[in-house]
Amino acid sequence: MPEPSREEEIGQLCARLKELLISQLNIEGITPDRIQDDDALFGDGLGLDSLDAVEIVVLLQRNFGVEVKDMEKGREIFRTVRSLAEFVYEQQHAAP
Amino acid sequence: MSARPGGRVRLSGIGLVSAAGEDTAGTLASFRAGRRDPGPVTLFETPLACPVFETGLPQGSAAEGSRTLRLARRALVEALAEAGLDPRRDLQGPRVGVCLGTTVASQLNDLPFYTAFRADGRAPMEAVDRFLKGNLAEQLARELGAEGPCATIANACSSGADAIGTAWSWIRSGACDLAVAGGADEMNLVPLCGFHSLGVVSPEPCAPFDRDRRGLNLGEGAGILILEREEAAARRDAVSGLFVAGYGGACDAHHLTAPRPDGSGLESAVREALREAGAEPSDIAFVNAHGTATRDNDRVEGQALARLFGPDVRVLSTKGYVGHTLGAAGALEAGFTALALREGWVPASAGFRTPDPEIPLVPVTDITRIEGRMALSTSLAFGGVNAALVLERAP
Amino acid sequence: MGLVVPRGRGVDALGRALEEGWRAPASVEAQGLPGGQTPVYRVPAEAMVDPRALRAARRADRLTRMAVLAAWDAAAEGGLTAEGAGARVGVIFATALGPHATTFAFLDGILDYGQAGVSPTQFSHAVHNAAAAYIALALGIRGPALTFTQFHFGFHEAVRMAGAWLAGGRCEAVLVGAAEECGTVQASIAARRLAPPADGRIRPFAFGRPAGTVPGEGAAFFLLTPDGGASDAARIEVAFGAESAAGIDAETGLLILDAGGLSSEEAAYADAAQAGVPVASYAPVFGGTLGLSAFHASAAALTLRRERSFATPVPDHAPERALRVETGGRPVREAVCLRLDCAGRAAALRLRCSRGR
Repeated sequence: MPEPSREEEIGQLCARLKELLISQLNIEGITPDRIQDDDALFGDGLGLDSLDAVEIVVLLQRNFGVEVKDMEKGREIFRTVRSLAEFVYEQQHAAP
Repeated sequence: MSARPGGRVRLSGIGLVSAAGEDTAGTLASFRAGRRDPGPVTLFETPLACPVFETGLPQGSAAEGSRTLRLARRALVEALAEAGLDPRRDLQGPRVGVCLGTTVASQLNDLPFYTAFRADGRAPMEAVDRFLKGNLAEQLARELGAEGPCATIANACSSGADAIGTAWSWIRSGACDLAVAGGADEMNLVPLCGFHSLGVVSPEPCAPFDRDRRGLNLGEGAGILILEREEAAARRDAVSGLFVAGYGGACDAHHLTAPRPDGSGLESAVREALREAGAEPSDIAFVNAHGTATRDNDRVEGQALARLFGPDVRVLSTKGYVGHTLGAAGALEAGFTALALREGWVPASAGFRTPDPEIPLVPVTDITRIEGRMALSTSLAFGGVNAALVLERAP
Repeated sequence: MGLVVPRGRGVDALGRALEEGWRAPASVEAQGLPGGQTPVYRVPAEAMVDPRALRAARRADRLTRMAVLAAWDAAAEGGLTAEGAGARVGVIFATALGPHATTFAFLDGILDYGQAGVSPTQFSHAVHNAAAAYIALALGIRGPALTFTQFHFGFHEAVRMAGAWLAGGRCEAVLVGAAEECGTVQASIAARRLAPPADGRIRPFAFGRPAGTVPGEGAAFFLLTPDGGASDAARIEVAFGAESAAGIDAETGLLILDAGGLSSEEAAYADAAQAGVPVASYAPVFGGTLGLSAFHASAAALTLRRERSFATPVPDHAPERALRVETGGRPVREAVCLRLDCAGRAAALRLRCSRGR
């Protein structure tokens, strides 16, 4: 079986992340299919806040084993579901 | 006997235990020397590498209750001695109240107990008993024989300030003549992990109001104040020239963990405290700020204080000396504030080096003489709680 | 007044429960017990659904949800809206055990993921004043907020403080309430410590005989305003000391005893029960909880409001000389809830009709 491409893996990560975000952050009144990969997580998009941001750090750690060391760099990573998925992908494929 | 409502509330005794000193004399010596000595956690095992401010209180026996309780007892002994009160004789009966703030002691957060419970549900019940007998205000009231108003305040990081404010209200409304008021919290695994997970624990000694501040250091301690109705204190010749002059509390109604960005909750609490004290902002000689050294707190608080008192107001945070002592913080800081009024100087705001362009004020960087008679101590907490206390010394 | 009780949310749910009397508790899982089950008067999840009142509370735990809904209803009944609250309204919340299920969930995080892998949301919600914060958020309350956390007289102290804020002009209205939850750990502790009766019946008149209790949970809030405000509201006063429940009229008074088998030291209630005033206790409806005083205050208020007495749901062991009320139209002008602690200290919540008749 061929290795999944980067795009395929990121697509799968996006789907998984949407489910995790909804369940772990208790986001109400929305289903994973209603979130677009490029929707803003904070502010006008999903409306997440600073407490969600630190909870996402825990979510990434517990579910993907990746660490967000620098919250300042986190701003870019935490912009959208897609940017989160890309970050997880890069971390998981980084040389040890 | 029913007391006349209103009137002044005398602060006739102060007891302080923190990393800065095991009593007020030790605290003042640390402040004078600008000495602070945070170090790694020694009280329990933790992989979290961050400096904390532990006191030198030795580990006690189980019979003495929690460390929080023992910290409170130690501060209480000093406060009563200064007030000239004999705990075997002077604190019994319905006219004596006890009001203490805490965060850790209010939870059954005993990890060994819970680990055993998870294993097979047959956890040792001693932990439950210790918890039930460890309610801070109820237990100290029992030990003293105080039968007046009794409350343990759990207002997160402003618990100590709100406890003093509550006791102040009791005396003003005639519910009691004398109150033991303050707060205590021990160095504990739960808040250490919790604040770490929030990303607000600094990997280095904290730097309140500094541009490069990286978060708070946890501390432990207890601050106990003896408050008395002025007439009652005068009758027994308690001559302390210090008063709790005003208290104000207000909530943000904004967010559980983040302060309201416009600082209006804090402003409202400060204005209420000033109004109760009959004071104008210009009467305030200095502000002992909450100043936790987190990004959010110091920005919101600094901006609010600058709006209220002008950019040249003398401000300091004592958390650079003792860390963030949670439920004890508001009480310790009220005690520090009163001591500074009495001594006529405030210490340098430890840890500060570089002004932050977002904060329109600069804390005091040296020991600074104080001329005025009134000072303010502020507290901000989880839950969007804000508290302010005005302390006063007699002319 | 606003309520979330094991039989549902709202004043009517309480009214129905008091009319109906005793009902069997639910069974919940309890670790380490033979059979693995223990009875609890638990608030059903469907009683805690309300998108409007809980719109800012997606992360809130059960204790907070109960408290917010009770406070929301109390505010609504008293005509306080989210738009009208503001800086002259305060909130005082009393809880003995706080959101302990969240504390244990946080400890689970330490055990399962290590000290560096815990949830900041759980940590911040395990703080005992989270419920008061959410109430302020839901109703736009910008005045003072306090949370009292203690095992005895917490709600009484809350009422005392509210009285001081109202009398001193600090507040025009204060939401005062209490809430307790019973999570699975608490249920297991209760099962081992409080000897739940095999038939699920709490016997409040056992007065220290080993009768045990069934733990309960819920929230009760009251909107208090200065005396002379709303003309059809009841008055509430708090009194402390041995004489705090003295002087109740035998014809038009009711004494509600905060006895519910929570402690083996309830024998002192027996004297109060025989003082010649009709007595009742509704612990069999609310469950045995440290918040019982607040729940009893709501039963007292309903007694005055409905002009109707409610019988004690499980009257077994009542002393011979005790005057027990029956459910019916006996006029009650003053209902007094008496609480004794294990050291024999007393406090009472006295509710009176202020309406002229």
